[in-house]
Amino acid sequence: MAEPMVRLHGICKRFGELEVLKGVDIDIAKGEVVCILGPSGSGKSTLLRCVNLLEPPEEGEIYVEGRDICKGQGSGTGEQSWELDFVRQRVGIVFQQFNLFPHKTALENVTLAQEKVLGRSKAEARAKATELLERVGLGDQVGQYPDTLSGGQQQRVAIARALAMDPHVMLFDEVTSALDPELVKEVLDVMRELAEEGMTMIVVTHEIGFAREVADRVVFMDGGVIVEEGPPAAVLESPREERTREFLGLVLDH
Amino acid sequence: MSEFFNQYFDFDYMGEHFWEVLEAFLQNLLIFAVVAVLALTWGLILALLRQLPGRKFLPIRFLTIAYIDIFRAIPILIVILLISGGVPFLEFLPKDIRIPHWFGKPDPFWYGVTALMLVYGAFSAEVYRAGIEAVPRGQMEAARSLGMSHGQAMRHVVVPQAISVIPAPMLNEMISLLKDSTLVSVIAFAESVLISRELLAQSFNSSALILTGFFFILIILPLARVVDRLIARNQGKITRGSHIEVA
Amino acid sequence: MRSTRLTALLAVFLLAIASLAAAGCGSSDDDTGGGGGGGGEPLSVGSDIPYPPFEQGKPGEYTGFDIELMEAIGEKIGRTPEFKDTSFETIFRDVAQGKFDAVISAATITEEREEAVDFSNPYYLSEQAVLVKEGSDIGSLEELDGKTVAVQQGTTGQELAKDELGNSEIRPFPEGPDAVNALKAGTVEAVIIDAPVAQNAVEKSGGVEIAEKVPTEEEYGIAVAQGETELLDEINKGLEEVLADGTYTKIYKKWFKLEPPKAIFSAAHEAE
Repeated sequence: MAEPMVRLHGICKRFGELEVLKGVDIDIAKGEVVCILGPSGSGKSTLLRCVNLLEPPEEGEIYVEGRDICKGQGSGTGEQSWELDFVRQRVGIVFQQFNLFPHKTALENVTLAQEKVLGRSKAEARAKATELLERVGLGDQVGQYPDTLSGGQQQRVAIARALAMDPHVMLFDEVTSALDPELVKEVLDVMRELAEEGMTMIVVTHEIGFAREVADRVVFMDGGVIVEEGPPAAVLESPREERTREFLGLVLDH
Repeated sequence: MSEFFNQYFDFDYMGEHFWEVLEAFLQNLLIFAVVAVLALTWGLILALLRQLPGRKFLPIRFLTIAYIDIFRAIPILIVILLISGGVPFLEFLPKDIRIPHWFGKPDPFWYGVTALMLVYGAFSAEVYRAGIEAVPRGQMEAARSLGMSHGQAMRHVVVPQAISVIPAPMLNEMISLLKDSTLVSVIAFAESVLISRELLAQSFNSSALILTGFFFILIILPLARVVDRLIARNQGKITRGSHIEVA
Repeated sequence: MRSTRLTALLAVFLLAIASLAAAGCGSSDDDTGGGGGGGGEPLSVGSDIPYPPFEQGKPGEYTGFDIELMEAIGEKIGRTPEFKDTSFETIFRDVAQGKFDAVISAATITEEREEAVDFSNPYYLSEQAVLVKEGSDIGSLEELDGKTVAVQQGTTGQELAKDELGNSEIRPFPEGPDAVNALKAGTVEAVIIDAPVAQNAVEKSGGVEIAEKVPTEEEYGIAVAQGETELLDEINKGLEEVLADGTYTKIYKKWFKLEPPKAIFSAAHEAE
């Protein structure tokens, strides 16, 4: 088997007294789409944020493309020893709250880091941004400021912004949870296309339908550990664990 | 009652000394202008030092916070007296710095400017900080996750947004600064309050002080209205942007 | 959230009340202190404190040449002085307006001031001193022309500097001690100030010396509001008594470490 794209091993994370992750192991292969499900407080978002060191773990190892990105770091405070540049140029993230830069237009949101981080020329960055914004269906909105765009539009700009950095892995942190129901589909459609193009994706979501259709693997988390994982058909249709059944029962009722 | 008006509102007396007092008031404006530029810069530096992340910068953060706390706590008058009475004794400094006489301004001017800068740097650092902390955490996270350094994220993402909420409280600080420029009178710098008291000592008439007060009102009232409008504008902004804050 | 804000507000409010209460206690201490002997109606006396060695000390414990002399006079005339610290610039206006009954504040009798208030017979003959840094080569007032000179705002020293030093930068400090500090710091080259104040600075602070004493024909007087002849007569009578019975000499020697000039005895008589 080829080297996994992302490997998490024995990840533990604490917020003060609260133990959020209690030793999580997971490998994600290149081109794989993994959906992480679980009740709120299960640690799924924290796990996702560990992957690009937004929440550095206290214990455990994270490998991205075979490289230990927390090399030599034990306590979560030694930022010097992290491979920040390495990980953040390979791993893109999209947030629940979009986090677009409100003082920049859609286009500028997508060009800023290209110019400042990758050193691309203005023209190069613009061309790339225009292409990506067209791809997410916002070719006619490039000059708009975030507060004049709908939530769905903003989230698509955020996806384009992350893609502009040419990531090898994309993280999606409940990206549709803050959206009005009628806007969810346009964002999921963009993600589905991305998956079809072969992007490695880790998706924390409540959208069971999306997980069923798009995911190669579904991971169910609860209480800071992985309870059950497997192909969507297996985990979603015939879960082995009682906790998974309970959760799915609650979610699918709606 | 008429005694009161003769003492404080003798308009003939004000007319006689109008230009003298105005000229002294211009010295207050000069102190204000020089200190405003210095303190706004110094305050921004302090605020940014205070936001440096990680354990590596802990000592810098600690020193910055200590500085800000101390200079916000000491009465400005004491700082002025300390600077003017203390700096000349720092013999390791060249004489031109111990007893400055730059751009045709005597040493008390520069002692006053230094003292006010030290204090208002601390106050404006707090205003910047409030602005920086008003920017949602997600902005910093988004910028960092795109690979920007802390400095780049501050410069291109956080500070530009912080700037939009800063003007109103900062202008309030600047109004205080303008008024506090009169404290430099204690070290015999000829600004408006010193000159007014000088006139009082000569003539036993206090109207020059009231005239000085008029000058301050004339400058500050319009500024206060600007503050009101900035506050109103910011409130509008928050309401417009609120749909982003769906939890 | 709301309740913590309320608590904070309440704390600030209580602090303000406590401050007011403390201030209130302080001022009542002032009223009872500084008296001694006398009986009769108290005499409120304004003075710009500190101006050592004429007036100095903390509220309630004021002392100095003026203070002790006023207390001695008060004892003779049966009025206990109660001292009020006030600003020199406004002191004559305030006594004229009746804010206090009399002023003793190392105040020189001038024609200008006599337009606003009435003065007692002279109780002190003053000189101005040119105070310089120890080892300075400045030896006299004339040599100061063109140099930076500190004075105390509204004093005779300032007048003298204005009259004699046309080419100097004169810096009027609101408080005398700050002018002496500026001299020690080297930001001014001399201070022109009342001789006893200068003498006091030489003794207490060190590092400074008197280059020259300049006689000014200045006489200090106790000021009262115009038309208060009855009070003025009493003060003059008390002053004459303390001069005659040796109290004056005792107080003078205590504060100036010198015999009083003989002229003061005749000066106080002449005016009668």
